[in-house]
Amino acid sequence: MTSATTTADQRPPLWRDVRFLRVVLQVAAVAVVVAFGLWLWGNLQDNAETTNIPLGFDYLDQPADLTIPGSDFNQSQPVSDAIIVGLGNTVRVAGAGVVLATILGTLIGIARLSTNWLLSNLARAYVEVFRNIPLLIIVVFSYSAIFLRFPRLEDARTYGGVFLPSVRGTGTVWITTDDRGGAIAVVVLVAVVAAWAAARWRRGVQDRTGSPAHGFWFGIAAFLLAAVAGLAALGFPLGYSTPELDGRRIVGGITMLPEYAALLFALVVYTASHIAEIVRGSIQAVPKGQNEAATALALSSGQRMRLIVLPQAMRIAVPAIGNQYLNLTKNSSLAVAISFFELTKVTQVSIANRAPAVPSYVLLLAIYLTLSLILSSVVNVANRRLALVER
Amino acid sequence: MTDRRTVRWLGAIAVLAMVMAACSDDDDASDTTDPDETEITLIQEGSRLAAIREAGVLKCGTRDALPGFAVLEGSDHVGFDADFCRVIAAAILGDATAVEFVDLETDARFTALQSGEIDVLVRNTTFTAGRDGGEGATFLQPNYYDGQGMMVDADSEFESVADMDGTSICVAAGTTTEGNVASEFERLGLDLIEVLSFGDPAQLQEAFIQGRCDGWSSDTSQLTGFRSEFPDGPDALRILPDVFSKEPLAPAVRDGDTDLAQAVNWAVYATIQAEEFGIDSGNIDDFADSEDPNIRKFLGDDIEEGGTFDPGLDLAADFNKQVISQVGNYAEIFEKHLAPLGLERGENTLWSDGGLLYAPPYR
Amino acid sequence: MTATTRPTPTASRAAWARKHLFRTPRDSVITVITAAVLFVIVWRTIRFVFFTGRWEIVRVNLGLYLYGRYPTDDLWRLVVTLVVISATAGLIAGIIAKRTRIAAQAAGTPLPGTSIVGRIVELAFRLWPVVVLVALLLLLSETITPTLVTLATVAAAIAGRLVGALLPKRATFLAFVLPGVLPVVLLPFLTAAQGWDDWGGFMLTIFLAAVSMLACFPLGLVLALARRSTLPAVRVIGVGVIEFFRGVPLVVLVLMSSVALGFFLPQSILPGKVVRVIVAFTIFTAAYVAEIVRGGLQSVPRGQTEAAQALGMSPFRVTGWIVLPQALRNVIPALVGQFISLFKDTTLVFVIGFLDVLSVADAVTKQSQFDLANFAEATAFASLLFWVGSYTLSRESQRLEQRLGVGTR
Repeated sequence: MTSATTTADQRPPLWRDVRFLRVVLQVAAVAVVVAFGLWLWGNLQDNAETTNIPLGFDYLDQPADLTIPGSDFNQSQPVSDAIIVGLGNTVRVAGAGVVLATILGTLIGIARLSTNWLLSNLARAYVEVFRNIPLLIIVVFSYSAIFLRFPRLEDARTYGGVFLPSVRGTGTVWITTDDRGGAIAVVVLVAVVAAWAAARWRRGVQDRTGSPAHGFWFGIAAFLLAAVAGLAALGFPLGYSTPELDGRRIVGGITMLPEYAALLFALVVYTASHIAEIVRGSIQAVPKGQNEAATALALSSGQRMRLIVLPQAMRIAVPAIGNQYLNLTKNSSLAVAISFFELTKVTQVSIANRAPAVPSYVLLLAIYLTLSLILSSVVNVANRRLALVER
Repeated sequence: MTDRRTVRWLGAIAVLAMVMAACSDDDDASDTTDPDETEITLIQEGSRLAAIREAGVLKCGTRDALPGFAVLEGSDHVGFDADFCRVIAAAILGDATAVEFVDLETDARFTALQSGEIDVLVRNTTFTAGRDGGEGATFLQPNYYDGQGMMVDADSEFESVADMDGTSICVAAGTTTEGNVASEFERLGLDLIEVLSFGDPAQLQEAFIQGRCDGWSSDTSQLTGFRSEFPDGPDALRILPDVFSKEPLAPAVRDGDTDLAQAVNWAVYATIQAEEFGIDSGNIDDFADSEDPNIRKFLGDDIEEGGTFDPGLDLAADFNKQVISQVGNYAEIFEKHLAPLGLERGENTLWSDGGLLYAPPYR
Repeated sequence: MTATTRPTPTASRAAWARKHLFRTPRDSVITVITAAVLFVIVWRTIRFVFFTGRWEIVRVNLGLYLYGRYPTDDLWRLVVTLVVISATAGLIAGIIAKRTRIAAQAAGTPLPGTSIVGRIVELAFRLWPVVVLVALLLLLSETITPTLVTLATVAAAIAGRLVGALLPKRATFLAFVLPGVLPVVLLPFLTAAQGWDDWGGFMLTIFLAAVSMLACFPLGLVLALARRSTLPAVRVIGVGVIEFFRGVPLVVLVLMSSVALGFFLPQSILPGKVVRVIVAFTIFTAAYVAEIVRGGLQSVPRGQTEAAQALGMSPFRVTGWIVLPQALRNVIPALVGQFISLFKDTTLVFVIGFLDVLSVADAVTKQSQFDLANFAEATAFASLLFWVGSYTLSRESQRLEQRLGVGTR
């Protein structure tokens, strides 16, 4: 440090030396942050000591003393298992939510731009209503005023043998397999690959010859062909089961608990209103000339939207929609307001039972951060791939 | 170039200055108030009781939505638990109104106690080993002996829990209730579809009404309370005879607050002892010149050798008198808040009547 | 693009319908289906609002919804606060309007003058949701007092506006000083009757949102500058804090503020529950504000900084007078959007047992004189309160965006 002042007189004095000050500033900034962290940590230690509460993660091995509806979780299983079941529920609701919100949001976003006055205004009303109401109110409302108003058990009946709505859960028909589930999964996988290959081949044909590809239909055909062939080879091991009431339990088919349904419904309705706005903005951001050129090429309005406008709009929309996916995942924690046991609810209940608050929340934050990081890196990859197509 | 860099690092200085200013503000603040604060902490470490006296108010953790135990009427907390907060305040501060009620959600109650947000927790909390040991709380003399029961629709076919094979049960989240239900079903060899736990009592009641579950399980006292306020009238619900757990509801203080713990215990004993003596808020003046030396001691009146009896609890000599005259004895508090719900005294009668209420001798 | 023009009441109506509703056969089908859906929705809504809905529950609990359990004897404090705030808002609007007019005259493009009545009518139309809500509230109330309070509030705003337009240029500083002074004066005035830990209803919502927004702005600014810093350590800290709080759900932070924050502070300085939750809202929103401000900083061309330096301005002046004003102007709409989010997110205090609007809606359904089927009514009213606030803010933000010319690059 002293050499800086002695070597050259042209150098500014120490307190005006840029490099020196940069170092000092950074050291100071780090020191402030570290000091603040240590202060918090020290308080934590003090408080833990005076109140005799544990700070470690030993509680994870203790019995959870809670039950989780819709799972086989047993109250004597440890807290760590409860958290894993909760994580599964978070992923389940967020995954379904992302898919459904994207579909609904895109449809409404497109409807918003329809030349049909009635349709576009209906879409606009939807967006303006749901964007401006707090999500938590939608969650609580959809649980108490919609899904808890489903038919009581004694009034529940099956519609067409496939749909059984009730306040205890809503059952629908579902596919059953025999014990060769693995083989069936392989068949489905092969069929998907076949569909992908067929669609790709048709696109290649279109690129070379210019004749319409109908890639989608070829893909479907290939999928069905491969699937039927594969299943025939296995001797058609697939069946289906319909939901039925057995005492107070819905058996057969697949059952959706009202708590799950309410949270999913609210997340989809709310997020779709945001995605619709993004889709609308992105479509409007596609230069008008693109649409006009497509019209000049005699593409139908459906083709214009599907082949020309949407692919370009997607590129613009991806980062914003990715953000919405992140929000949806984080918002699934609003389940604390109803009785759906995802991560946050499990943590909250286990704290109320006996788990220490600080380690429980630290773990919860860490899990959410990890989820966020994974999701945002997926979005980043998607974004980069779409951007590469451009140039 | 250097100029631009200068700008940047000056910007950084600004940032840092702001950060440091923010922090140093704190430092300054703590510097200036340091002497006082250390004094307070010293007092606190030595005695929570002294800290409460210093503040002139007892911070009591309660809940505002538990019929009979604590509900808000206007801005006033009314109920059995609320009155025990007043009992404690009367004993420590000589003023039953010197209570600051802090309403706590179920999941926040122990944390509030641990972090010192409240002095004492009187919130319908079951005294269990795990809580006494693991939550940094010290449980004291139970003020209500409760047990978990089951409530069902009045016109349902269930006559006892044993009939409830293959049912769904609703409970309030974060209580010992959830585990008890599962254990009881297991013990009886019954199939339990699910236990739904709700954080919000309003939502729980609604789910029950809509037929989300067949049974509503909770401490019997709570069930009675909810039943009395049920929208369709109490007759729409039936409480099954089974009581399948011990739920002693007790006040709790933070681990280490020994002096406060003693004060709370003796405040609760005061209400029991008074009932045993037959002293209540109405007739307490008649006992002013009682001949019974035990009563004279209890009420803090002069005893023969001159002066008053001081057991060394660091409470005023007449704290029992304050408790009884300002709030009442156990029977009065019970009759006022719990009897209207239709609750019987049950185990909560004096030991001399075959109950569990027993106060150690005040001598 | 969107055909939102309304039909004109002439023969062209048929032409309009043909163009916008029945252009192609497919269009006609869509119109018919949409009309059917719309009919069902409108019909059910009307039936709910006017016939099946039992709004008694809202009427009886109106006070609880609006100001929680604020002592009845001290309600005049709320009235005074309302009148003072509205007069101040009017005053500031007046001062700004006068400055704008003078600036326009100086630029040689005087603004067209409209009558006061005309302007009030225009404003009423622009803020129609608020007008409708206030009318509804007055309709639900039984006494004359709320009407008088409303009239006094409106009168105060108009008076403030007129006085503001008369003030000399010297008084312009009031527009900056008053918003800072008001909270300092009004908060003790309000808490004298009831501490904010016991507040409830819409009053609590507004208090939480306003305080958190005011507090998060400086923090967000610091975080944004830190993230843009050339000092690696400072940047890492900025990025770390921002990304951490953007990556976790707000509910968890709110729960932690209630359950876990107390462990990280010495007991002697443990703040009350409202302050703790405000801390959670503030830090969370600051992380988002930081990203918005960073976007604004990036949008200011480098040439601006260089030009300012060439003029010999000191680094502080470059940032404070040149870069930040432009950056902040660009991000005002985004900041308003964040404020709207925060406003809606205040409902999260429901999960930690505050008596906010949603908790009121939930709690009143338990009152034994009401059937639980009233839940829809109770929640619908809560939603309406939020919808009006949020919708109005977002519309005003769009207007501001157009007036500032943001986005017209």
